[in-house]
Amino acid sequence: MATRVDPTLLKEMKKYGAVGVEKCFNCGNCTAICPLTSDEYAFPRNMIRMVQIGNTEKLTQSLDPWLCYYCGDCSATCPKGAEPGETMMAARRWLTAKYDISGHGARLYTSSKATWKAIVGYALIPLILLVIFHVSRTLGLHNYGDIVTDRVDINAFAPTMWVWAIVLIDFTLLGGRLLRNVINMFQLTMGTKSGKETIPLSVYIAELKTLLTHAFTQKRWLDCGEDRSRWIKHLFLVTGYGTMLVLIVGLLWWFQTDEIYPIYHPQRWLGYYAAIVLLYTSGEALIGRIQKKGEALKFSHHSDWLFPAFLFVGTLTGILLHAFRYAGWAWPTYIIYTIHAMILIAMLDTEVGIGKWTHMLYRPLAVYFQAVKVRAEEYNKKTAAALAAAN
Amino acid sequence: MMEKLLNTLKIDALVVGGGIAGMQSALDLADQGYQVAMVEKEASIGGKMIALSKVFPTLDCCSCITTPKMSAVAHHENIHLFTYCEVQSVEENTNGFKTTVLQKPRYLDADACTGCRMCEYVCPIDLRNPFDLNMGATRAVRVPFSTAVPQIAVLDMENCILCGKCEKACPVGCIDFSQQPKLFTLQTDTIILATGFETTKRDAKKEYGAGELHNVIDGLMMERLLAPTGPYGRIIRPGDGKEPDSIAYVQCAGSRDKTLGVEYCSRVCCMYAIKQAMLISGSLPLADITIYYMDIRAFGKGYEQFFQNARAMGVEFVRGKVAKITQDDHQNPVVRFESTDNGSKVSERTHDLVVLSTGMLPSYDTKPVYRIPAGDDGFVYVPEPNSAPCVTDREGIFVTGAAAGPMDIVDSIVMAGAAAMESAAYMSEKQDQAEIHEQAEESEMEVAHV
Repeated sequence: MATRVDPTLLKEMKKYGAVGVEKCFNCGNCTAICPLTSDEYAFPRNMIRMVQIGNTEKLTQSLDPWLCYYCGDCSATCPKGAEPGETMMAARRWLTAKYDISGHGARLYTSSKATWKAIVGYALIPLILLVIFHVSRTLGLHNYGDIVTDRVDINAFAPTMWVWAIVLIDFTLLGGRLLRNVINMFQLTMGTKSGKETIPLSVYIAELKTLLTHAFTQKRWLDCGEDRSRWIKHLFLVTGYGTMLVLIVGLLWWFQTDEIYPIYHPQRWLGYYAAIVLLYTSGEALIGRIQKKGEALKFSHHSDWLFPAFLFVGTLTGILLHAFRYAGWAWPTYIIYTIHAMILIAMLDTEVGIGKWTHMLYRPLAVYFQAVKVRAEEYNKKTAAALAAAN
Repeated sequence: MMEKLLNTLKIDALVVGGGIAGMQSALDLADQGYQVAMVEKEASIGGKMIALSKVFPTLDCCSCITTPKMSAVAHHENIHLFTYCEVQSVEENTNGFKTTVLQKPRYLDADACTGCRMCEYVCPIDLRNPFDLNMGATRAVRVPFSTAVPQIAVLDMENCILCGKCEKACPVGCIDFSQQPKLFTLQTDTIILATGFETTKRDAKKEYGAGELHNVIDGLMMERLLAPTGPYGRIIRPGDGKEPDSIAYVQCAGSRDKTLGVEYCSRVCCMYAIKQAMLISGSLPLADITIYYMDIRAFGKGYEQFFQNARAMGVEFVRGKVAKITQDDHQNPVVRFESTDNGSKVSERTHDLVVLSTGMLPSYDTKPVYRIPAGDDGFVYVPEPNSAPCVTDREGIFVTGAAAGPMDIVDSIVMAGAAAMESAAYMSEKQDQAEIHEQAEESEMEVAHV
């Protein structure tokens, strides 16, 4: 089988944050020290090798980067300091960009300038919409909403149903992009594009359990390295993030109210839980990156800062919004509301489908696809044996 | 005797270190008629080489090469040997270098001792033998090893209980428990540093069991197991005395490893592992021998053929750095590695004995005493390694052997000759200049008379 060599791959990977790839002389220490490596999937040396020889095709088809949770043992024990863990990380960034057909993801990953532009651009959307909304009202074009200053009336400043409608429209668009990228990932990694032998649907169905387990528990991570606290913290983060996502996207009409509920009301404690978890985990991630703590946080590509930074600032403004509203400060509430909306829209539009956010889907899907591949191989062996027996 | 010697003789060169490089330098200078003093910190000369089994690639007996040289040094009329001594300080003066040397106490009269070992036989203290890397046993008072030069006993005061048995047993009555360290000085024109090397400690790498796995030994320990004078006289694993059926070599277990801070190649480990594999094939013909390597560096004359011979003899070579060594319930070491020869496959294999091919490390910092800095690798800094490999950045002081960097015996001997040559050239130039200076002074005086 001919292999097409792409001499620019190494250069390209460096833009995605790969360091030290040239130092590697393929001794295999990283693969052998990796607690997750298996007979079917032995990484990370194979990934480094692909980058070294410029095997873009194989790298694009690989699921391995998603199966690594970056405990950093490989980088810590690498005799050459070739940072295999960071190569895996760079491969994940690269694959995220590869799965995105629009090329938007690739632009954001390879240029911090483009990222800033995108952030500012997306952040302006809610601001402009709010300005248009209120200016047109004062011009007498409509009579919805108002800016009430003697008390806090968020639903007059930004009527819930309007905001919710915009959130849902944005989410439909982003969901569409995400779905397209997931389909692309499926086609690239499962070989359906290259028209190899197809895997029967029954195998996919039989392994659905794996997908669900890993999507909700990230169980595989438990075997990665000795530090299990990363997994637990991440699990909390997921619950906090999931709660907020449901509250804002699914239940905004219930969540954004001017009525002040008692403390035991779920609208309040769900919000508090999510806020605490998000603030703690994103804050810890940011501090870890600033201090370059441990192997996994030693290197930070500009894209690595976005998600935790957005989460942190988004949560902080959310908490302020809540506090101002309770304090009854009208203008501060409206201003911080606008900033909060700007941050969240910028976060979702730069992350969903093209940024780090996507690992929520790509990781469990990769584990699922891998399990399907293994099962399909067994299945093929069995049918071949059955055929041989019949003959 | 020493005082008499120092007062009556003019010594030309001081050689620090009595390993193979130092001995060769001393012999090469002494044969040219220079007076040489050799200072050795151990109780016997011979260095690391005298402990080895055979040399690669010829498989000649190591003792058979080293022992005659040790004898030659001891008996050469131009070489003055000071064992169990350490250089304390070096002062530069108009005549060259004035070196202050500390004679550590042997706790016996070295001139009287005949090396009969009666003291050793009666000593009640059994100790692990450092010469056998703690595998065999020895006594608190002992002749360091059977072929030690000089054949003079040394008493290990740290472990001695002062029972006095040796004192009674000594036929010449030379034991002296109250002996004190002594300082003496040497005035020389030049100094040759042959301070040698250390090997990576067995516990240096936590992934390799941090020295706590019983049947994981290092290269030097295997040398002792293989040597005819070794601790057991046969190859058994130190953990439980079992004869190993399956022996693995882990290459680069101390070199080319950034995590240990040693990024250079030690240059000897590939070859000594192959040599040991061949010797084991001889003494345990049924044993399986596997060498896990990153790449085999067989660069010297006849080395590649030696490697190919080992391969043809059935030694298994597996390309892949061992990432981890653990042990099973029977204390058998288990190595984990990725075989990178053919695709990519991670395996764990159990062996009876694992030998870490430990590397060469700098052993002595020349900065405090000699004001010669270390290079980036920690070995003695040499400004012009390609054109003048023995010349340090301090005039009159030369370096040779593994003190200058990792090298094998062949290279050490070659470099020892070069260092002797460099220092001889330096001395003769110095003498010429002195003569010219003298003549000039004489002619000046004549002019004055006229």
